[in-house]
Amino acid sequence: MALFCCLLMWNSGAGQGYYQIGEGAIYFKSDAPLELIEASSDKLRGLINPADNSFAFAVKLNTFQGFNSPLQREHFNENYMESKKYPEATFSGKIIENVDLSQPGTYTIRAKGKLNIHGVEQERIIKSEVVSGKKGLEVVSSFTVLLEEHDITIPKIVYQKIAEEIEVQIRATLLK
Amino acid sequence: MIVLRVHVFILSFWALATTAGGQTPFFVEHLPDEVHRDVKMSLVYEASDGFLWFGSDEGLFRYDGQQYQQFPVPDSLGSNTVTAIFEDEGRRFWIGYEDGRIFHLGPAGRLQLWEPEEGLPAARISGFGQGKDGIIWLATYGEGLYCFDGRRMYNIATEDGLPGNDVYVVVTDEEGRAWIGTDGGISVCSVEGGEKNVRNITRADGLPDEIVRAIIPDSKGNFWIGTYDKGICYYDTRKQAFSVVQEDWPFGPVSTLELFEGLELWAGTEGQGLVRYSLSTGQLSAIEFEGLAGKKIYGLHKDCEGNIWVVGNHKPAYAANRQFEFIKETADNIQAVLASRSGRLWIGGQDGLYRYDEDKRVFRLYKKENVISLFESQAGTIWVGTFGNGLFCIDPATGRERHLTEADGLSNGSILDIDGRGPYIWLATLGGVTEFICDTDVFAPGHLQVKRFDEASGLGTNFIYSVFLDSKGRTWFGTDGEGLSYIENGQIHNFAEADGIALKAIYSITEDSRGHIWFSSGRDGVFEWDGRRFQRLSVKEGIRDMAITSLITDDKGNILIVHPSGIDLLDPATRHIIYYDDEIGLKNIEPNLNAVCHGADGAIWIGAQNRLIKYTALNENLCIHPRVSLTSVSAFLAPVDFRQRQVFSYNENNLVFEYVGLWYTAPSKVRYRYMLEGFDLGWIYSRDRQANYSNLPPGAYTFKLAATENEAFDDEPVQSYSFVVQAPYWRQWWFILLCLAASGSGIAWFIRQRDNRLKREATLKKEKIESQFEALKSQINPHFLFNSFNTLITIIEENPEMAVEFVEKLSDFYRSILQYREMEVISLEEEVELVQNYAFLLKKRFGDNLSLTVRSGSRQAYIAPLTLQILVENAVKHNIISKSRPLNIEICAEEQYITVRNNLQKKIAMEISTGFGLQSIVNRYALLIDRAVRIEETEGYFSVSIPIIKNGKE
Repeated sequence: MALFCCLLMWNSGAGQGYYQIGEGAIYFKSDAPLELIEASSDKLRGLINPADNSFAFAVKLNTFQGFNSPLQREHFNENYMESKKYPEATFSGKIIENVDLSQPGTYTIRAKGKLNIHGVEQERIIKSEVVSGKKGLEVVSSFTVLLEEHDITIPKIVYQKIAEEIEVQIRATLLK
Repeated sequence: MIVLRVHVFILSFWALATTAGGQTPFFVEHLPDEVHRDVKMSLVYEASDGFLWFGSDEGLFRYDGQQYQQFPVPDSLGSNTVTAIFEDEGRRFWIGYEDGRIFHLGPAGRLQLWEPEEGLPAARISGFGQGKDGIIWLATYGEGLYCFDGRRMYNIATEDGLPGNDVYVVVTDEEGRAWIGTDGGISVCSVEGGEKNVRNITRADGLPDEIVRAIIPDSKGNFWIGTYDKGICYYDTRKQAFSVVQEDWPFGPVSTLELFEGLELWAGTEGQGLVRYSLSTGQLSAIEFEGLAGKKIYGLHKDCEGNIWVVGNHKPAYAANRQFEFIKETADNIQAVLASRSGRLWIGGQDGLYRYDEDKRVFRLYKKENVISLFESQAGTIWVGTFGNGLFCIDPATGRERHLTEADGLSNGSILDIDGRGPYIWLATLGGVTEFICDTDVFAPGHLQVKRFDEASGLGTNFIYSVFLDSKGRTWFGTDGEGLSYIENGQIHNFAEADGIALKAIYSITEDSRGHIWFSSGRDGVFEWDGRRFQRLSVKEGIRDMAITSLITDDKGNILIVHPSGIDLLDPATRHIIYYDDEIGLKNIEPNLNAVCHGADGAIWIGAQNRLIKYTALNENLCIHPRVSLTSVSAFLAPVDFRQRQVFSYNENNLVFEYVGLWYTAPSKVRYRYMLEGFDLGWIYSRDRQANYSNLPPGAYTFKLAATENEAFDDEPVQSYSFVVQAPYWRQWWFILLCLAASGSGIAWFIRQRDNRLKREATLKKEKIESQFEALKSQINPHFLFNSFNTLITIIEENPEMAVEFVEKLSDFYRSILQYREMEVISLEEEVELVQNYAFLLKKRFGDNLSLTVRSGSRQAYIAPLTLQILVENAVKHNIISKSRPLNIEICAEEQYITVRNNLQKKIAMEISTGFGLQSIVNRYALLIDRAVRIEETEGYFSVSIPIIKNGKE
């Protein structure tokens, strides 16, 4: 949780020894029978503390670009995500595996934490691929989000256009 | 603008290569009522009394097979989501909630918050367990493990060496240690003498995955473990080694486990339904049931009847009886079944012989024949009996085949049944019995050694339905119309009659574990032959359908009775019969004659209309009776804590007993009988779950209750509840005694009162008589008369008129005395008049030396007669009366008293006095009135105050 606070005070600078996102991107896809919606943001922020393998990631929802039309983006922010009320989606917790990320190598890890989307928190275990190199960490992960689990309701009329399960992928480079 | 490359993942579950069989138990929905239709059940727990308890997001539920009863928390302060249920050895319930609160189940089903001194955890309760010496383990998701020893609560968390505080599961081992699963593996925890011990079993010890979601112990003291990513593994506690069921686990996270001892492990997954793992073959397969496909399974439970219960994100709870499984896609009208030793399934129908393709889940036509019997010899040859076209020997491995007909020595071309042992193959045909002795290769051309038995050789008929080889080397035959026969050492024995019944068609024969022969007849039920005697089992003994098609004995020695209404399981020793039918999927099975067989794995296969039934005897000791219990007793509709209370008062004599017989296999089949001993004369049979008794007279009663699932009550255990309705208090001994005592003392009091009154009256009378006597005595005192006469003499000459008046007064005075003496009281006026008469007489004697002043109101008042006269007389008697010292007497009436007062000038020589006058007044007044006579002697004055009687009756 302390780490999460650090993340919120982004500009105040992270503590010593933390990995911090230099470049982070998040992408999602809704593959419904009648429409494919894709959007992404390169404003993903994140920290990993290699000392206790805790982490925190966050993204502002209004930074997502893409969509099939500007109107769709507006709907995304106003109708579904309620970005004014819940401006950010966050995921913070601990890595389950007992790995030393400061050692160079490729690790498959499971991150267990609280995924907060639309103000609704869900405990999730998310599998990720981490490559530790000289400069820092390269993190790639993909997972799905069930809209129902986060109280995001889809009007019946657009049922066929929005998938119940959203595929999410992230790719980030974290620097020491 | 898309920044990331799109990864496409193709996940293939339903990996067919890992599945086999295809048989599925019959799942039945157990829906809550309309109000609770959307409840999310997350766990199921069986209590020691047989009740199933469910935990849900809307609290705790108890289920009796027909109704769910909700047990809400008493307040709405916290969560109502139940996350753990446990009954400890003392039969105390522990109910854990999402918010960390723990409740106990109190009397009358009320939930009571547990309030340990240390406070409750603030994290979800994920499980309970019981350790040594009654300690309770409490697992939490967030605060690690707690241990409560009855007084103190210890916390075991990461500071104590746990790899994580999120505990998914807790179970206990034989030593009472807690085995918990966390995100860091398994931890074995114990607390000894206040010291916490933690041993972690992690990936380094061979655990395939550190996230341990489920642990379940087996009867050997080892554990099955369900993990997040690596499926199921087995931990041998002695070898301290893990074995993984399947390296590439295709079913996702395992959430819960249940074990059928020695048979099968069931796993609930998070999103891919149910999976099971055969302990004998090592086969892993998904349970193919649409209701659970792709679902998250939260809880599994095997109940004591062999049903498995499943709760998950599918809404209703499902249950299936594990003993019966079904393969649905079969040929029509199965006439013969064979499960080969290699595990292959064959069925014979009118259209042909079919072999099961396990991969494609279909029966494939192997040979077009009307197949009515199948048998696999020890050599692995499949013997196929047809209707009219003789016999086929098939070697499935090589595809070799031989057709045997009458030409090869077959009695008849229609072979109804085949049995055999070693090289000896026995055939039941419509032309008698044929025995082949196959000590050479049956597929090699040439004649097979044959023996034949028929009517000519001593059989009752040539139409033989069935053949059965028993354990003692006898071969038994069921004939059409001529009863049962057997051949022993070439000798034929026929039974045409058994237990007083003429035996006709015998359809099926089997042998129990004691060597008794059991057979079924066409219409007379089942017979047992113990070697000497026959005994018949019919409707009365619980046989519910006489059209029995097959008898077959299972691995545990029970006999399956197959008939169109279902399958019954008969325990030969106790003769208890359990019925299985519609509720577990045995509806309209329409079985054919002897279309049953034993499988290599101990299972029994039964051919039915359009489906194949697999029966597996479970290793668990299953309940064979409904668990019957009294659930509530109410007096005038008010529930009574009947576990504590056995005494009812006389006006609590309107009782309702509610009870239940738990038989989850077929809840609607449960019937009850009850009897109130002391009231009912016999059993009352009912399907209701309550019994009403109104106006019970006082007395001692026992409510007896039994439940049955098969209409046979004789061997059902009886529950009883004894109680007393007390006599009303007015018929209690103490009350009667009290009444007697009260009336006794009342009478005694009354007698004493009356006694007192009589005594007082007697005294009063005596006093009165005495005072009358005194007054008379004093009035006829010679002195008074003498004095009066002297006075008269002096005035008679001087003043004759005065003398006349004097005599008149004297005679008035005496008349008054005579008139009043009998009366209790007279009016004050009368007394004053009498005194004035008296004073007149005295004044004539003493002249001015005596003065009497009377001041009395004219009030209505009464006085005892002669009182004032006696007092005046006393004054005259005791005082000096002379010219120099005149005596002044005053009579003065006040509010309450009338006082006679005189100046005191006592005579020195006292006239002889009895002293009785004054005393008599005091005594009389004491009897007449509460107020006492006051006698005062002050300086110079003597006064006596007499209480005035107000109404003359006081």
